Amino acid sequence: MGTVRVINVSERRRVLTFWERIYLPEVWRGLVLTARHFFVNLWRHTLRLFGVKSALPGAATYQYPEVRRPQSPRLRTLHRLAKRPDGTPRCVACMMCETVCPAFCIKIVAEEVDDPNIEKRPKSFDIDIGRCVFCGFCVEACPEDAIRMDTGITEIGALSREGMVLNIDTLLSLPPKSERGDKPVDFLQQQLVQ
Amino acid sequence: MPKVTIDDLTIDVPAGTTVIQAAEKLGIYIPRYCYHPGLSIAGSCRMCLVEIEKAPKLQIACYTFVTEGMIVRTTTEKVIVARQAILEFLLANHPLDCPVCDQAGECKLQEFYMQFGQYDSTLLENKLKKHKAMPIGPHIMLDSERCILCSRCVRFVDEVSKTHELGIFNRGDHSELLPVKGVTVDNPYSGCLADVCPVGALTDRDFRFKVRVWYLDKTESVCHGCSRGCNIEIHANRRRSHHNDGKLVARLKPRFNGEVNGHWMCDAGRYSYKRFESEDRLLQPLVRLTGKGQEKADWTLALSQVDEQVTHQIGRTGVAAAAVIATPDLSNEELYAVRRLFMQGMKIEKIAHRCPADPNGVEDNLLRKSDTFANTYGAGLIIGAPHTADPTVETILEAAGAGKLKTLFIVGDGLLSRYSADVLREKLKNVETLITIQTHGSVLTELATVALPMTTFAETDGTICNSEGRVQHFDQAIPPVGQSRPLLEMLVDLANRWELKAAPRLPESCFAELAGNVEYFSGLTYSKIGDAGVNPSRRSAATATA
Amino acid sequence: MSAGMEIGAAVGKTIFIVMFALSLGGLLTWVERKQSAVMQDRIGANRASILGFRVWGLFHIIADAVKMFTKEDFVPDTPHKFIHALAPVLSIFFALLSFAVIPFGSSIVIAGQSIGLQVADVNVGILFIFAMMSVAVYGVVLAGWSSNNNYSLLGGVRATAQMISYEITFGLTLVGVIMIFQTLSLQEIVRAQGGLLFGFLPMWGVFLQPLGFLLFMTAAIAETKRIPFDIPEGESEIIGFFLEYSSMKFGMFMFADFIEQILVASMVTTFFFGGWQVPYLGDGGFVFPWGSTIDMNTWLVESLRVISFVLKVSFFCWLQMLIRWTLPRFRFDQLMNLGWKILLPLSLANALVTAIIVLWIGR
Ligand code: SF4
Ligand code: SF4
Ligand code: SF4
Ligand code: SF4
Ligand code: FES
Repeated sequence: MGTVRVINVSERRRVLTFWERIYLPEVWRGLVLTARHFFVNLWRHTLRLFGVKSALPGAATYQYPEVRRPQSPRLRTLHRLAKRPDGTPRCVACMMCETVCPAFCIKIVAEEVDDPNIEKRPKSFDIDIGRCVFCGFCVEACPEDAIRMDTGITEIGALSREGMVLNIDTLLSLPPKSERGDKPVDFLQQQLVQ
Repeated sequence: MPKVTIDDLTIDVPAGTTVIQAAEKLGIYIPRYCYHPGLSIAGSCRMCLVEIEKAPKLQIACYTFVTEGMIVRTTTEKVIVARQAILEFLLANHPLDCPVCDQAGECKLQEFYMQFGQYDSTLLENKLKKHKAMPIGPHIMLDSERCILCSRCVRFVDEVSKTHELGIFNRGDHSELLPVKGVTVDNPYSGCLADVCPVGALTDRDFRFKVRVWYLDKTESVCHGCSRGCNIEIHANRRRSHHNDGKLVARLKPRFNGEVNGHWMCDAGRYSYKRFESEDRLLQPLVRLTGKGQEKADWTLALSQVDEQVTHQIGRTGVAAAAVIATPDLSNEELYAVRRLFMQGMKIEKIAHRCPADPNGVEDNLLRKSDTFANTYGAGLIIGAPHTADPTVETILEAAGAGKLKTLFIVGDGLLSRYSADVLREKLKNVETLITIQTHGSVLTELATVALPMTTFAETDGTICNSEGRVQHFDQAIPPVGQSRPLLEMLVDLANRWELKAAPRLPESCFAELAGNVEYFSGLTYSKIGDAGVNPSRRSAATATA
Repeated sequence: MSAGMEIGAAVGKTIFIVMFALSLGGLLTWVERKQSAVMQDRIGANRASILGFRVWGLFHIIADAVKMFTKEDFVPDTPHKFIHALAPVLSIFFALLSFAVIPFGSSIVIAGQSIGLQVADVNVGILFIFAMMSVAVYGVVLAGWSSNNNYSLLGGVRATAQMISYEITFGLTLVGVIMIFQTLSLQEIVRAQGGLLFGFLPMWGVFLQPLGFLLFMTAAIAETKRIPFDIPEGESEIIGFFLEYSSMKFGMFMFADFIEQILVASMVTTFFFGGWQVPYLGDGGFVFPWGSTIDMNTWLVESLRVISFVLKVSFFCWLQMLIRWTLPRFRFDQLMNLGWKILLPLSLANALVTAIIVLWIGR
């Protein structure tokens, strides 16, 4: 165990110099900085407008939705429920994800299955995406690797609150990003816009 | 009295005390599987190994008796390593079904593995397959893969229920706990098997997959199934409404009380919780308006109807033609409130509580009592004792049948277990104003002029006296179901309408007033009764029977 | 001069200055977005299009206007519905009225008549502007009060405190200008700035009153209630006086902000940067300090002057935008500190020193 470090916030307060305190030089510096960006970017925009291809771009932004930012493979995106080889859900309704979810947005109802090697499965499994904070705790908690956040879907919207609740069928039908590739998901139209 | 030192703490204990018990007295918890204070000692799991000075090897705490000057250590390196090894053995063939295992969350394997686990498996062999999800009785599901062969359950059926249905068969790692061939585990205490099993091998079929145990809130209560008054815990699912089929109370569990029920409770009591939220609960007052049929009503209308109808009827036919039946399934406070309002306030002479014996009552020498009323003793003290006439329910019903009674209050559900619907219909047909205060809908509420819905014991506070006269307290576990209200509250409202004095609205204050008025309870308060209850009859046997 | 001509000229000048303010204001809504975007390495609003043409998002001005007019006009549950509706009108009205005394050029001669390029050449122009700016505070206060909402009211109160505090500095700094140019007429002030200092430097207010310029600029920005002085609005978190306004009523407040910005730019131009003056440009053409001259006819000179005025105003609008997108907001106590403990003493000192120097030179 290391020693506890105590930080007194008042000691960390930066003491301003005289020139900082009279504010004007700092204002001037700030204005120079932003003005420089303004003119440099304006110049680049102008060059590009006149077709100078070699000019640097004047903006660092992506022109969404035409251009999309590449997703990190670890990005937490819309959930899906994984399936067993025979197509049944891997989830055994253990309620770990429901318990750990800080947003209380998972609702599972369990039921019994005849196969004594499976015993339990979700009868219904709802995620209220409208409340989800995309923390990924559910994925961490799942002992069956059944819930995953690898669909690559980030555009989620619905015209009603109920539309934001994904049921077990939807969750099971979503493919992982690795299978889907860059193909757009038409499920937005089908499922969410209700 | 040998003096023993455990982990540097010293205590004097009577001879014949085991180390595990002495440690418990010092507040030191030694991990155990096969040891159960309510059963004989088996010493088979070896989880309780401790280091005892001068002993060459580790000893099991559950079957080593203390001797003078013994020095015990429970947390040394050696002990911890031993526990790790034991856990490794126990888990060698364990399926680790935790995600689907109902025991998860209250499983001793999980608990101790968290503390002493080895974490990195060294197991190379395949695990043995045994029986899974095997119903062995109406209430119990066996998963013999999860069994750690502690034999607690075998000792339970041998020593407590004495029904001998279970045994451990085969040898070595093929040993398996199974019911004896051709036998179903259906003894009246079989539910306790799920409690004694420290792991998820024996689980409750009724509770199966209903709700995870960590969602449950626990409330201390007393079973109302018979006059034993077993101490119980009500486990309610208040936090996740979609579990447990949308109901609140998920299960009842026995709560240890050495004076009453030990560690056990009977199955009838255990599964009686279904009454609380059953389909036939009376959720709303019913009112029969003149010239119309029975209709659902709100409380204001229902109470004003009681007020009008009773005032009118008594004004016409007099108090002599009025009677009250208060059955002994009510708590002391509720009975006192009945006495305060009807006997002292309205001056009704005929108040009956004595019912005939329950034809379905069974008695054995473990727990069950043939008197299926929880509070017969209390009713005798509160309604019976001060009463000059003290009629029985039988005589009241006779009088009613003969048309001599025009106004009748029936408070409590007790009549239904004693009389058939036809008999009640016949006896009550001449009563002109019948007010029932019941928890469930029944033939009585059908006949009632006004039927008021009342809370069950899970929804209110109170005390009851068991057959020995022990006063025990139960807590409110869930909010009132539907629009039902506690009896105390509605009697206060009625008294206000009639400008009479009623017992206090809150059970605790009501009990204080009761203690001031009924000698038996004098000096008692809720805090003095505590979790375990007290028995004043031992203090003043003479007064109790007066 | 015939009465008809006079009326015609007055109407013409009014239309010019109002159109100038309004169209520049409209443009500023676009400039605000685009300038901030370019400063922040972004692209900015560029989606509104007509027939696929986007023209760098210029259509957003139209889109915004359409949006403002078609949105739900929410009126809160207040007993002062009339005042609630009146407040935004007041705000924008007084801001526009101030433009009446701003000279945007010297004068032109039409049909032998000389017409001053200023809607009303009042000889108390500065006082008129003060009056208008003081009355403008009513728009804000009434908005906060009539909304029947605590947050709005508090926003209104903050606005009052701020505007009154800074009006003092605002006025006092101009005392220096008045003392130097010895007149209250704005046209006179601008004309006075046509001379040269030390033979080569245009005699602009900023060279005569450098401190005055800084103080005036600060106080004026505070008057417009824009960042870093946007305590009255604080739309991102503390919520201000126009909380209960929607659709075009809100739009009018927003627009009033831009108009005030142009007004401030015009005032700074007029008082400190020579108004419509072009350096070395006299009525007959350029006269450079080194002696060479370029002759021009009056029409060309006048056009150059009007253009110069417009360019200067545009520059100061740009500068205000730059400030607005550079500096963080003051806390309320800092705001009050700055106003009363720094700006006020400095402006008093400025007035005093100016007075002494003016007396000394005049002697
Ligand atoms: S990502 Fe977090 S908030 Fe969303 S469902 Fe999972 S646990 Fe809940
Ligand atoms: S944690 Fe996994 S297995 Fe458990 S309920 Fe959630 S998704 Fe199903
Ligand atoms: S008995 Fe315990 S360890 Fe075994 S599966 Fe059940 S919860 Fe898990
Ligand atoms: S079933 Fe449970 S109580 Fe019985 S031997 Fe196995 S682990 Fe022990
Ligand atoms: S508890 Fe002692 S051996 Fe099992």
